[in-house]
Amino acid sequence: MAAAVTAEDFTNLQLLLKAPSKDAVRDVCVQSHRAPSRLLAENTATTLSISAAQAAQLVQSLHVLSHHVLFYNLSSPEQILALFPDSFHSSLKNLITKILLENSPTWRTEALSNQISLPQLKELDWRVDMVTGSESVSRMSVPTCLVQFKMEDSCHSGGSESVSTVTVELSRESLDTILDGLGRIRDQLSVVAGK
Amino acid sequence: MRITGPGSGRSNSSTSAVFFFLCFYRETVNKIMQLHFTKDVLPDSVSTDFQNLNKFNEQQFLRLIEILFQFLLEPKESDRFMQQLSAFAGDHGMSAGPLRNLMKSVLLVPQGALKKNLSQEQIKEDLWAEHYAVLSRLAVRQTLMVNQLVDMDWKFGVTVGTSEVQKVGNIFLQLKLVIRKGNSTENVYMELTLPQFYHFLHEMERAKASMDCFS
Repeated sequence: MAAAVTAEDFTNLQLLLKAPSKDAVRDVCVQSHRAPSRLLAENTATTLSISAAQAAQLVQSLHVLSHHVLFYNLSSPEQILALFPDSFHSSLKNLITKILLENSPTWRTEALSNQISLPQLKELDWRVDMVTGSESVSRMSVPTCLVQFKMEDSCHSGGSESVSTVTVELSRESLDTILDGLGRIRDQLSVVAGK
Repeated sequence: MRITGPGSGRSNSSTSAVFFFLCFYRETVNKIMQLHFTKDVLPDSVSTDFQNLNKFNEQQFLRLIEILFQFLLEPKESDRFMQQLSAFAGDHGMSAGPLRNLMKSVLLVPQGALKKNLSQEQIKEDLWAEHYAVLSRLAVRQTLMVNQLVDMDWKFGVTVGTSEVQKVGNIFLQLKLVIRKGNSTENVYMELTLPQFYHFLHEMERAKASMDCFS
């Protein structure tokens, strides 16, 4: 969520000056974008030779900063540089800005695909059968359509995703009605897109 | 065996057609049973029931036919069918139970005819054709469907913002499918992105084209 970036956060960010390499800085930035974890804090503490507590604060500050950039869609270097206080180490400031800009598109796509929604349609299959007989009529030839929807419901809390499958039978009339409805949706979409 | 029954001047031709049809059966019950249901074994009570039909006068008989065919045309209205039979029994001072059994036997005739796909020549074509066409269409509609789609609701909109990204502009489509499972319905909700919607539309058009090949 887009919490405000505070002066304390920037103080914590200066701990990155202790990083052995630019790649190490990059790793920490990218990994703290996801939910902060103790493992990450521990690894960061080792890499930067700082205390675990300091590492945890650093990871949290990076998290706040990257989410702030994502939320407000800060897409130019000037916009991000403007966030930093004047006293901030200038090379580190440029490096962090560069890393944030590099990863923003990926983070944005990820955020949009993980947003709350109804179960997402994942797969669609259909087949057309010919019904040749039934209990009420011994000989007939009536086509019928079966459609299978596979939907994925992502439950963020568990990290697990449940896939549910629904198979639906359609008569010719139902299929015509569906196509009618879908055609109307398409027309309305083209009106919206045209605006 | 051709019967010219009363009522040739009736205004409602379907009713008279039905009347002729059942008169035909009423008079020649046993012969018909042999001719058309040779592969079926019917209980003796059925032929007795048909002979009991003879005991009704014309007005009563006509009313019974009306009730019978109302039920055949709307087979889901079994409660109404039973109520009408009970009312009839009350009106004519007879007990409802035997009347219901009688009607069950009488129902075998049109239902058996459909099952055996009896040709129209066998069932007095000029009297039965109209009802047969309607009833066979209804029978086809009664054919078992698994997870039949009853209704589809949709809405589409634009995601304006989320907790993670302040400004967005993605179009989404939400579908609600109402599916009949046995006697109750189940709602299934899902969301589609725009490309998925176009894929869905394309696939349904292909399915329709496939179905049209068979008509």
